[in-house]
Amino acid sequence: MKRREFLRKLGVGSLAALGMPYFATAQAKPVKLAVLLPLTGPFAFAGNAGREGFVDGVDYVNEVQGGISGRKLELIVEDTGYDVAKGTAAFNRVIARERPDELLFVYGDSTGLSKALAPEIARMGLPYSATSFANELADPKTYPTIFVFGPTYNDMMEALLRQIRLQKGRAKIALVYSNTEFGRDPIPYVKERAKALGMEVVHEEVTPPAFTDATPVVLNLRRANPDFVILQGYALSAEPLILRAAREQGLQAQFMGTYYSAELALIQRAGPTAEGFIVTYHNAYWYDTLVPAVEEMRKFRQRKGRDTSYRPTYYMGSLAVALAVAEAMRRAAGAGKLTRAGVVEYLEKLGDYNGLGLQRSYQFVNHRLPYTKLYRASVKDGRFNAITDWIKLA
Amino acid sequence: MSDLLPYLIGGLANGALYGLLALGFVLVYRATSVVNFAIGEFLLVGAYLTYTFALFLPLPLAMLAALPAAFLFGIIVERGFVRPLLGRNVVAVIMATIGLASTLDGGAQLVWGPDLKYLPGSLPNLGFQTGEIFVSSRAVWNLLLALPLGLGLLWLLRRSRYGILVRAISEREVAALALGIPTARILAGVWGVSALLATLAGALLAVASGVGPNLVFLGLKVFPVAILGGLDSVGGALLAGFILGILEALSQRYLETVLPGFTEALPFLVVLLVLLVRPYGLLGERQIERV
Repeated sequence: MKRREFLRKLGVGSLAALGMPYFATAQAKPVKLAVLLPLTGPFAFAGNAGREGFVDGVDYVNEVQGGISGRKLELIVEDTGYDVAKGTAAFNRVIARERPDELLFVYGDSTGLSKALAPEIARMGLPYSATSFANELADPKTYPTIFVFGPTYNDMMEALLRQIRLQKGRAKIALVYSNTEFGRDPIPYVKERAKALGMEVVHEEVTPPAFTDATPVVLNLRRANPDFVILQGYALSAEPLILRAAREQGLQAQFMGTYYSAELALIQRAGPTAEGFIVTYHNAYWYDTLVPAVEEMRKFRQRKGRDTSYRPTYYMGSLAVALAVAEAMRRAAGAGKLTRAGVVEYLEKLGDYNGLGLQRSYQFVNHRLPYTKLYRASVKDGRFNAITDWIKLA
Repeated sequence: MSDLLPYLIGGLANGALYGLLALGFVLVYRATSVVNFAIGEFLLVGAYLTYTFALFLPLPLAMLAALPAAFLFGIIVERGFVRPLLGRNVVAVIMATIGLASTLDGGAQLVWGPDLKYLPGSLPNLGFQTGEIFVSSRAVWNLLLALPLGLGLLWLLRRSRYGILVRAISEREVAALALGIPTARILAGVWGVSALLATLAGALLAVASGVGPNLVFLGLKVFPVAILGGLDSVGGALLAGFILGILEALSQRYLETVLPGFTEALPFLVVLLVLLVRPYGLLGERQIERV
């Protein structure tokens, strides 16, 4: 080898040796998904179950599905304590720390936090979803990057009203809801819709989100004597109290609730008084073993040495979001568009995907998934059993 | 009246719990001038202690077993957090109780986990119906346990030697020390009794609604109750508890339908109005300071 040729090869080799690590790093750059959840505070039970769903979902994407087109999906977890100020600080921390080309999705907590962050999220073009099913968030004109991974609270109420109409045409309805954004969100809709359907809202009761004595609530309900009572804006602390007090005092009305009441803990806490409680729910339950996602995650958790006993609905909801977001990212990467805008575009085109059966489909209509099923609590079985197939709400 | 009576009974039952909790709060304030912002967490820890004992014992025994454990917990808090700060600026002690509240919130989650717990078993059903009026078992138990305990404590503070010593310390701690009163031991006891009262309230709540971090919210009710009764008045705390319980019940009956959500704000509104007329609360001692 001539000296000049040797030097040229040495130079090329050295450059390659110096440059390869950078090239390799660029290839291995992770894609990031940040979740802001109430890991402490009154909703810690839901937040921690949700976090577990995201951890499983992201591990499954990386280890079984090969990541996002060869790139690792990385999960960032922050605690909000179910506090808007703390949640906003966590959001700002994540945004300041992470690169926009790596952080491609944020999942937040609560209606209050999501509404507070929504304008900033829209400005940043950041794909976002949350534990909230507030109607205001499902508005792609105002918030083009926000998605609601389920029916909105209005949709859930619509499903309940349709069921009421089936059971008793011109029914008398009472609304009991918490004095929170979560509680108030669907109330104007349900009042208007009930009227349009020929039903009468005979009583409205606003309560704190958590209370310790349901006696006055039930006394007021007894005076109004409704056929149906819809509970909204609670997460398992108030419903058992109301159900127990209602049965104690001989109230015969049919009780109903929405997504956040659809958890087995309600049956355990309310005991026999939970019998017949009807809820909306739009993911699979851990005991729905015919759903491929459930079987798959049971096996996956077993392989990982994780607990395979019952996982709550909050786990299932998070898992459903993680799998769908990863799928949209994968499709965006396949089209060479793995950016925030690309993720939004492919979430909007995810109609042929159903997250291994966790959802009916991810066919967003106005950035929400307007499908749900209704379930009825069975104390004997200790679970909620489906009483309808998928109800299409838009 | 038969329509109103069930509301009033419910209000009294709630008032008994408010009074019990406020009693523990006022007792500490009166003896040590410390505003205990961790009172809600005392209740939470007490409820969790009851839950833990209930895993091994029948519920009534578990509630009984939780009381001495709570007393011990109160003493530990006093020794660990409060005593080292005695003699310092009162703001430092208040900040310490705020820090203590956060520590207990986090500690409770670490020890018992984030899931909501429900107590195995229940108290004997003492609920009954007379005519149209239904009295729930919860209301009977609240009144049965909280009322004698509150009144008994009031009597002890007024009549017993221990009560007189507590009052002496609260009047003038330095003079009490000079007279050979074992101030440190008695103040630790006061914190112990405060934790015990909060635990009984927590246990009664846990029986009705299970145990979870949201129980600390009841701690917020202590402030309007204690301020209304007079921060340094033990009897005032009991009385204000019942007054606010009944007012809430009346609001639920008559105002909730026209002003949904008003009941939540009512305790604070009442406190504001009463303070305009009686700045030291209903039974609080009027203090005149030379400036």
